[in-house]
Amino acid sequence: MANIDELTAAQVAAGVAAGDFSAVEVAKASLDAISKRDGEVQAFLQVSADLALAAAEKTDQRRAAGEKLGPLAGVPVAFKDNMHLLGTRTTCASKMLANYESEFTATCVQRMLDAGATPMGKANMDEFAFGSSTESSAFHRTNNPWDTERVPGGSSGGSAAAVAAGEVTVALGSDTGGSIRQPASLCGVVGMKPTYGAVSRYGVVAFGSSLDQVGPFGRNVADVALAMNALTGAGRDPYDSTSQDCPVDFLEHLEDPVEGRRVGVVPQLMEAEGLTPEMRRAIEGACRMLTDQGAELVEVELPNIASAIAAYYVIAPCEAFSNLARFDGVRYGYQEPGCATLAEQSSLSRAHGFGEEAKRRQMLGAYLLSSGVYDKYYYPAQQVRTLITNDYKRAYEKCDVIVLPASPRTAFRFGEISDPTQMYASDLFTISNNIAGNDWASRVRAAPGTGLQGPEPAHLRPCRRARRRRHHARARLCREGG
Amino acid sequence: MALTKQDVAGIADYARIALTPEELDEMTTYMNNAVDLVEPIREYDLEGVEPTFHPIGDLSNVMGEDVVDDSERHLPIDVALSNAGASRDRYFRVPSILGTDEGDR
Repeated sequence: MANIDELTAAQVAAGVAAGDFSAVEVAKASLDAISKRDGEVQAFLQVSADLALAAAEKTDQRRAAGEKLGPLAGVPVAFKDNMHLLGTRTTCASKMLANYESEFTATCVQRMLDAGATPMGKANMDEFAFGSSTESSAFHRTNNPWDTERVPGGSSGGSAAAVAAGEVTVALGSDTGGSIRQPASLCGVVGMKPTYGAVSRYGVVAFGSSLDQVGPFGRNVADVALAMNALTGAGRDPYDSTSQDCPVDFLEHLEDPVEGRRVGVVPQLMEAEGLTPEMRRAIEGACRMLTDQGAELVEVELPNIASAIAAYYVIAPCEAFSNLARFDGVRYGYQEPGCATLAEQSSLSRAHGFGEEAKRRQMLGAYLLSSGVYDKYYYPAQQVRTLITNDYKRAYEKCDVIVLPASPRTAFRFGEISDPTQMYASDLFTISNNIAGNDWASRVRAAPGTGLQGPEPAHLRPCRRARRRRHHARARLCREGG
Repeated sequence: MALTKQDVAGIADYARIALTPEELDEMTTYMNNAVDLVEPIREYDLEGVEPTFHPIGDLSNVMGEDVVDDSERHLPIDVALSNAGASRDRYFRVPSILGTDEGDR
């Protein structure tokens, strides 16, 4: 068979269904790519070779028995390590959960498996998804496959890097403030944060419950659309009371022309402090490409978006503090030995189980929710949320899609942003969408479900190419960075 | 109004995160920077603006049937206990909750 990084998800599934190659062969090719490349990239926290081969064998047996195979038959998939999968640990890249064995399988993972996907393992992330560079993983960093001295973005950095390096075809990540879109941008792959509620959060370790959303990474738009269909096709999940029916065929409009589509641009954001000239040029280039194909550019205003950072860094830490209170060292997670009282056991288990950033976010949330402080920050933040949501509603009356950068800059070097609050500011462009619950595909060229599509993206093989033509790769990253 | 080290120590106690003296210094700096970052939220004129606590509007309660879930997706007790640091029989085991002083018992 061909190298798996040269095949789209649809081609893998079709090849397996037609018997051109077996699912086991594909799984072995993916394991091979992981063993060759992941020493350098370090996208994985766990490779589930046994599960992968068993699932692939089952797929091949089903084919041999004449059963109809799923749309992701034999497609190698990685899961962010905050998603439960029976037979794997779910660590959230934290010492707190270093030995946690999944007790059940998350709905999003199960739906990928139901569609025939082969589970290759669990991908690295920022600890409990707190971060934008995957540097806060308690276990190891993940290197950007295009340039291993640079971060892959985060928090779903391992998922993005595994796809960019051609180790897997598709990966799942989660996005609370940009954690799918930003690493997709920094790794030059396609990522999508679906509309809040479109994908079940059941079995995904919670960070900010009103903001979290699971979504796919792929090397092209069609693969992401295929994964979205797998994630949403079975309708709402009775195990997640916030999940919604999402009656959209994400493949249906992929080939539609962009002609006549109204593309919103936000001049105020293109002038935002911190947006690098190269990123700005990339966005302008994307807009030009869209207008060349007949789309119409429309200027829209999001007057309250400047407050999104402040609102987000109230809402998200408060929800995180509430969610992470469950890690008390009793039911699961690190338990400090030799404590005389429960209070002491909780305080020391949390002190020694959580990393720095996880402690910071919870401390901030604890403060903002405390008596007398709540009214000053939390309540107004929820009111600002209304204003931002209304801004988007008004903007979408004038346009079909809005073009925004996913990150103010291309991939930065390890340690380059060391101040935590400076790192928060890099979420400027992505977080307002979580606040409003909107969806967003990370590649400006294409938004599944909205009818936008550009030229077929080239297959990315950054690991090989990065070594040979690193400068070329970086230029490409800039170009596709939006 | 800046947060003092004492304030932050109080928050750490409430959040059940034991901090070393060095961590307390760093955390105090961080907390003040972070509060500065969110400060603009207080400068808004929000008179009459309804809060949005959740991005899905018009939600109504989702009620389950009051029946035992005997599908494969329920969590058996032995599995629920399997990741616990300490358990006995059907229970999670914890140290003393009210203290160990004899008079408290």
